[in-house]
Amino acid sequence: MNHSVKRLRYVLKRLLQALPIVLAIVVVNFFLLHMAEGDAVDVLAGEAGSATPEYMAELRQKFGLDKPLPVQLAIYLKNVLSFDLGYSFRHEMPVSQLVLDRFVPTLLLMVSTILLAVGLGIVLGLIAAVGLNTWRDNLISVFALVTYATPLFWVGLMMIVVFSLNLGWFPTSGMENIAAFHTGWDRVWDIAHHLVLPTITLSLFYLALYTRLMRASMLEQAGMDYVTTARAKGVTERRIVFVHVLRNALLPVVTMAGVQVGALIGGSVIVESVFAWPGLGMLAFEALFARDLNLLLGIFLLSALLVVAVNLVVDIVYSLLDPRIEVS
Amino acid sequence: MQAKEEGGQPARPEARRGEPASDALLKTLTIPGKLTTSAATRDGTKRREVEARLDITRARETRSNRDAGFGRLSLGDIMTMKKLIGGLVFAAVLVTGSFAAQAQKAGGTFVFLVQPEPPSLASYLSTSGPIGLVAPKIYEGLLDYDTDLNPVPALAESFEVSEDGKTVTFKLQKGVTWHDGKPFTSADVQFTVMEVLSKVHPRGPNSFREVTAIETPDEHTAVFKLANPAPYMLRALSAYESPMVPKHLLEGQDPRNADLANNPVGTGPFKFVEWKKGQYVRLDKNENYWKEGLPYLDRVVGRFIPDASTRTAAMENGEVHYGAYGAIPNVDVVRLREMDHIGVTTDGYAMINPVSLIEFDTTRPPFDKPEVRQAISMALDRQFLIDNIWFGYGKPATSALSTNFAATGLYAEGMPNYPAKADVAAAKKILDDAGVAPDADGVRASAVLDLIPYGEDWRRAGEYMKQALGDIGIKVELRYEDVPTWLKRIYADYDFRMNVNYFYQLPDPVLGVHRHYGTDQIRQGTHFVNSSRYSNPKLDSLLAAGATEADATKRGAIYKDIQSILAEDLPVVNLFEMQFLTVYNKKLKDHETSALGAYGSFERAWLDE
Repeated sequence: MNHSVKRLRYVLKRLLQALPIVLAIVVVNFFLLHMAEGDAVDVLAGEAGSATPEYMAELRQKFGLDKPLPVQLAIYLKNVLSFDLGYSFRHEMPVSQLVLDRFVPTLLLMVSTILLAVGLGIVLGLIAAVGLNTWRDNLISVFALVTYATPLFWVGLMMIVVFSLNLGWFPTSGMENIAAFHTGWDRVWDIAHHLVLPTITLSLFYLALYTRLMRASMLEQAGMDYVTTARAKGVTERRIVFVHVLRNALLPVVTMAGVQVGALIGGSVIVESVFAWPGLGMLAFEALFARDLNLLLGIFLLSALLVVAVNLVVDIVYSLLDPRIEVS
Repeated sequence: MQAKEEGGQPARPEARRGEPASDALLKTLTIPGKLTTSAATRDGTKRREVEARLDITRARETRSNRDAGFGRLSLGDIMTMKKLIGGLVFAAVLVTGSFAAQAQKAGGTFVFLVQPEPPSLASYLSTSGPIGLVAPKIYEGLLDYDTDLNPVPALAESFEVSEDGKTVTFKLQKGVTWHDGKPFTSADVQFTVMEVLSKVHPRGPNSFREVTAIETPDEHTAVFKLANPAPYMLRALSAYESPMVPKHLLEGQDPRNADLANNPVGTGPFKFVEWKKGQYVRLDKNENYWKEGLPYLDRVVGRFIPDASTRTAAMENGEVHYGAYGAIPNVDVVRLREMDHIGVTTDGYAMINPVSLIEFDTTRPPFDKPEVRQAISMALDRQFLIDNIWFGYGKPATSALSTNFAATGLYAEGMPNYPAKADVAAAKKILDDAGVAPDADGVRASAVLDLIPYGEDWRRAGEYMKQALGDIGIKVELRYEDVPTWLKRIYADYDFRMNVNYFYQLPDPVLGVHRHYGTDQIRQGTHFVNSSRYSNPKLDSLLAAGATEADATKRGAIYKDIQSILAEDLPVVNLFEMQFLTVYNKKLKDHETSALGAYGSFERAWLDE
């Protein structure tokens, strides 16, 4: 069978397998969220200052919150299966529109963070492993330990104090300069400028993780028999490290990156909040406190899909890194 | 008058904390002449004409206010009076100088903090704070209120109250158009009040409860027919409280579902352009605004920054120009107010009148006994709370009504059970006399204290109260939940014993205070009403009388009785009159031109860049 056809079949199979998982996630989330006290109407009416019980009953009816839970679930599932994520009564907008609006900034922050964290983590881990127990190794290990142990919000605020307030190099927060309303390439540059501090802050934590993982993985691989064999064959050290050991050592790092994409959406709440980055994490956080369950379910669904998709990509990357692993 | 009350206090925190004395003096000294000065120099002649027309109608109402206000001023602290006289010449130079030197500059983008992000921009549906920050720049009310709380013209160029108080006639401005180009007429006023505000606005049914019909003899006249006189209604006509909305965009649909909520179309100085969720809401200058030459700003942008420290940094950095309603936490304000480019004020909250308090479940032990509630009121050190948790911004409560109501003659002095400093011995004696005796461990009663989940300050206040009430033998456990859970517990399930909260008393007790105490305000499931379930027929009849009494002196007497009853029964113990802080970049000028402060339109605000 042709290699690419095989890979396509594999992808389809995996997607099919993912379907019941995603549905199960939706159902579990639905009941989990409904266990919380109070509903969207309580919050809306509370914020409004005062509202009559009749008005609140009317709102509940309008939102469909007066129906029994199983009926609500059935309606929701039916909508999801027809690709309708429902309506956010708090924002008075379709959930899909809200979520997609916020998805782009999230993706931007996520991709740049993963690139920076994984990229730099691999390089640092490599340097540390190659120079085992030298000052480089010690320095990198201490750096990794410190960044791993430092709370994200503190790092974020310190970044703002140093780079925005004291040095004035970067804006404190937001995704764009809203006094200027740039367009075209100016806007791209402006967004990139705003992206720097949040990316560095969010990366630091993961960077430490990847650095340590990469270092350990390199050391483990370096003690394997195939390295001894290669050395006996007279292969240069450089070639051993970069061709043999590195490729093998990357596998756990890639696995980890795949697993962490899901966590990244959740973990970015703090960074999004500190830097006022308009991402999904903040939206989910606010939705939780507003009991905007349709919106929350929509975000969870999207996250679940994202994790499924990323894991698929990771499996394919495996087979590229290590031809012995076959997609089948 | 209420604004004056706050602004002219001798013990005003900023003045006390080393704000340049001249600044504080200037504010105090300009008050008597303020109306005429500001009308003449800032707005040109057009406004003055309108003012004059309005003067006739409001003369009767304001005379008593003004007298009361002057009385308070001269009664003010004699110590500071000496200093006042010393700085008189200097300040007088400043007064004349500052108006002459500052010609308004047009243009620029004004960026302010909106926190949290509003759920919609439908100010006709919700009085939610963040909506109030944005919507009054788009919508207008029939009236606006100057910093002394006197009504000034907005969409109504004048109004007239009939002898019996049952007919109020509004003459509307001519040549006003909605942002979509359609003309604004009396039909819009009728529709807004009868079909929208009276029906779906949270406080509208109360503000307009006496309105039986609105007649529209011509396009520019709206006649409100009232069942009973409703003096408080004239204080509830601001853009924030009662925005006028376009009939042609709402008619024939449920206002609660209308698209207008996210795409507001008003008559105000700024037009809605776009709302980027999670980032900002952008408003641009209304080129066809009916007030000639206004607004000065080209653009107004409300920014959403969830993290308080980042908000502070953005303010410090000049990325935002303005943050009100605690957008910058007090703990940071203490640092920011030392900076040259940043100003801090407590003005602009007179229409809101916030008071922090404890609500009790008066139907169940231990708080069914008024004596226990009295003891709690005696045992809490209000000044300690203000000084240590709110950084000096606040004023101890002395009655059920805020001292801001002194201006309208409704506040009564000398109520019992409201000490500024704690009186532990007296509190214990009250409990002993009432037979609430301590057990072997010294515990007389125990209860859970719920805390309003609106920030860390309340948590800290709770920690203090736990300790203070422990001193008199009331064992307290603290509970801090998220907003929906808390609301449901207090107002739907009544599953609480004591609850720390704060209420807006608004510009009239009928609007903000009655909801706390009336038997008809025990409305299970409705938020921010009589959750204490306190019911007193005598008080009910006094409240009803207070609502319809048109004569100011008689009304004052009624409210004195009300306050006496409430000071003894204390279904709610008021803690302190809160002072919210507005932090602004000094580049921003003329942002304090109305009593509504941050809930104002900012038509005359400008940036000195």
